[in-house]
Amino acid sequence: MATHESHKKRSGLMDWLTTVDHKKIGILYLLAGGFFFLIGGLEAVLMRIQLMEPDSKIFTGELYNQLLTMHGTTMIFLAAMPIIFGFMNAIVPLQLGARDVAFPYVNAVGFWLFFFGGVLLNLSWFLGGAPEAGWTAYAPLSTVAEDTGVDFYVLGLQIAGAGTLAGGINFLVTIINMRAPGMTFMRMPLFTWASFVTSGLILFAFPALTVGFFLLMFERVFDANFFNPDMGGNILIWEHIFWIFGHPEVYILILPAFGIISEVISTFSNKRLFGYSAMVFATVLIGFLGFMVWVHHMFTVGLGPVANSIFAVATMAIAIPTGVKIFNWIFTMWGGQIRFSTAMLFAVGFVPTFVMGGVTGVMLSVPAADYQYHDSYFVVAHFHYVIVGGLILGLFSGLYYWYPRMFNRVLNETLGKWNFWLFFIGFHLTFFPQHWLGLMGMPRRVYTYMSGQELDGANFVSTIGAILMGAGTIVLLINIIISASSKYATTKDPWDGRTLEWSMPVPTPEYNFAQTPLVRGLDALYVEKTAGNGEMTPAEPVGEIHMPNGSILPFILSLGMFIAGFGFIYSNWYVAGAGLGLVLITMFLRSIIDDHGYHIHKEEVEADIKGGRA
Amino acid sequence: MANHTQNPETTVHRHEEIQRKLALKEERKHHNVSFVMMILLTIVAFFAIWSDKISDSFAVLFILTLAVVQVFFQLYVWMHLSHKGHDFPIWGMASGILVAAITVASLMGLIWTS
Amino acid sequence: MNAGERLTDANFPAHPEKATLEGKNKFLGFWLFLGGETVLFATLFGTYLGLRNMHLDGPSGEELFSLPLVFLATMLLLTSSLTSVYAVLSLKQNKVRSLQGWFLVTLLLGLGFLGLEIYEFIHYVHEGHTFTSSAFGSAFYTLVGFHGAHVLFGILWITTLLARNWNRGITLSNAPKYYLFALYWHFVDVVWVFIFTVVYLMGKVG
Repeated sequence: MATHESHKKRSGLMDWLTTVDHKKIGILYLLAGGFFFLIGGLEAVLMRIQLMEPDSKIFTGELYNQLLTMHGTTMIFLAAMPIIFGFMNAIVPLQLGARDVAFPYVNAVGFWLFFFGGVLLNLSWFLGGAPEAGWTAYAPLSTVAEDTGVDFYVLGLQIAGAGTLAGGINFLVTIINMRAPGMTFMRMPLFTWASFVTSGLILFAFPALTVGFFLLMFERVFDANFFNPDMGGNILIWEHIFWIFGHPEVYILILPAFGIISEVISTFSNKRLFGYSAMVFATVLIGFLGFMVWVHHMFTVGLGPVANSIFAVATMAIAIPTGVKIFNWIFTMWGGQIRFSTAMLFAVGFVPTFVMGGVTGVMLSVPAADYQYHDSYFVVAHFHYVIVGGLILGLFSGLYYWYPRMFNRVLNETLGKWNFWLFFIGFHLTFFPQHWLGLMGMPRRVYTYMSGQELDGANFVSTIGAILMGAGTIVLLINIIISASSKYATTKDPWDGRTLEWSMPVPTPEYNFAQTPLVRGLDALYVEKTAGNGEMTPAEPVGEIHMPNGSILPFILSLGMFIAGFGFIYSNWYVAGAGLGLVLITMFLRSIIDDHGYHIHKEEVEADIKGGRA
Repeated sequence: MANHTQNPETTVHRHEEIQRKLALKEERKHHNVSFVMMILLTIVAFFAIWSDKISDSFAVLFILTLAVVQVFFQLYVWMHLSHKGHDFPIWGMASGILVAAITVASLMGLIWTS
Repeated sequence: MNAGERLTDANFPAHPEKATLEGKNKFLGFWLFLGGETVLFATLFGTYLGLRNMHLDGPSGEELFSLPLVFLATMLLLTSSLTSVYAVLSLKQNKVRSLQGWFLVTLLLGLGFLGLEIYEFIHYVHEGHTFTSSAFGSAFYTLVGFHGAHVLFGILWITTLLARNWNRGITLSNAPKYYLFALYWHFVDVVWVFIFTVVYLMGKVG
């Protein structure tokens, strides 16, 4: 093959900068997302320290506003979403029986755009102050802010958001086009299903946000008048656009967690997932309803009783498919042989915690009651119950579950249990008292409160809880460091897994499957285990495998966007032009350089199989 | 012998070839017809606004309908959504149009005033 | 077979744009991208519709818009959409020269459209209708400008694509690229249908 010679093996840093291997990109997402998770967590602890005592003066005024804005923004866009993309990259192609994702190059572009967008946003701390208009950046708060904080917000997130959109399309096409023979839609593992629906939500929700960010950017950088009532603008346009994106966004976050929990509960109960098709249907229905409820974030705007009632009913309806899921998880555990590994502990902890967040969600969906709860700590308690108690517990569960597949080592179970209990108890200590704080009238986003209003005790407990959550996270870090310094220590299937990702050797070969597997039922590996085979039946003979070449262009393209971002923030058109020029040049290079990838020869694959490496 | 086995194959091949040519000819005809249709729809839309005889509120509804029809010609004939193997593209466009519709409705103020 | 090889009439597949997995992926991914673009433009249209009467002291759409100019622009873009579908027909018949010819016509018509739009914008600015003059100004230039930027990107795209493949036949690797460009160009026309209807024609009746 003439194309073979064009393939260069790179090593070290250059390998990571140029990789288009979904397994490595998954690790990059996980590391970068984990880093931003620590930053966002630190911001949270600093806020809780300020709120520990009444009339405290440690982080006040503008600085507190910056902390709360950056905490929310970082956690949603730079921690949760990338970690989800990390798992999707690492696991979805393996669960499908695919050798690669549909667009390996675009996948790398997506990661680097997210990375540079996140770095750009966080550099604001050192360059005149972080954004202070809240993660929702409501106009006119965001349009009248005079320093550059909101400019960093809007450009950083615009760049990161473009990467997310690219990732969403990539996974939709991967799942539709690249399933192994026999892997029908109704045999796909639930995590893959959740990734599919989440990617669909990304595809249709993020363009609205893209436009919203453009409008806000034009308003700030080019003096447009979308949100300025003096010039005929209307601030509600921002609120509608933001929540048309924003509500699907919370389902983008939670659905993959649902998927992880389904996998973990089924595996560690040694049982097939109860009500598989109902679970799939519920996932799709939640995704659909996610687009129909955004106005419940705007009940107090005054859109009128008709609009409020319609959206209230739609919101309550979401409780139905979610309830289906909760019961199916419980019925999966019912009568199963449950093994309480760390992953399972997180999954079991998730179920009641998420239900509590769901119940307060239904409470908030009643407009009349929402007038009371709105903008109070009750809302803070609610969304932390669903996002931390739901999503983050799910991600921790997934991390312990898939760590052996991603990093070829098992995390220590004793430390894992410390991690779970510290985090779980800390979580409830932090956020449960906040329900009462909110009902007693404590507003959110305010940096202090007076003593003598019976808010002291609950706030103190809440801060202690936050410190415990921090301690739990530190235990996880120690666990990761210990495992990183140990040698490979895992078998290919440490949990007695049921899905395809556990059928392959450790470490996973770069081409994933030497021979594409033949899928003969739901829980493909479990089917073969019960049939006495123990491993997958191949669907094809050993042959040449086509692989994509690595490329530095995604990195350079994203760097160009990063530079252009600075240009727009400081209204320096030369820098902006240079950055966008770099982007166009990389796109041009990508289209004129023929890159047909390379082939791994049949003999090499056969040698890998013989050596137990494939 | 080789001749014997090849003959039916080439006949089949030629037959397919002719069918394909006919199909392409048919396709070209469809493209031309939709082009004429779209030109007409455009002219009618412009005329509806130009003319003073048609009331404004009716004209707006009318030209919006014409726009939707014209877009269907584009999507189904020129972009081949009517062809086989377009199930997922149709799903994708339909979902996009659904979200687009509720977005436009809310932003243009239908929901603000209720 | 190598994806970069020139196809002959004998081995020419019925759907060269979808004959490889890469082509299938690009085809589907691009359609999904267009679904997302639909939402993107809908958000812009919604914003425009919400703000279109907010012209303050400046001229309104009714006073500004010149229908003959818009009609001419519409015809240019509509015809360019037809020529790009002719190019796709040539693609299916492995006629590379005819494909290049039709795409060149598409390119020229696109340039003509862009020229008209630039002329139109300059004219409006002289009339006092600018990006910063009112909410209507901001919304108008953002919506129509986004479409214009799409036209410009399409022009750059097809120029690069034609130049790179000028001396090559149709291959399994460039067939999907031609096909995707044609889809993109039709979509740009689809958006324009709504722009001339919603912005210009509806603008004339207030």
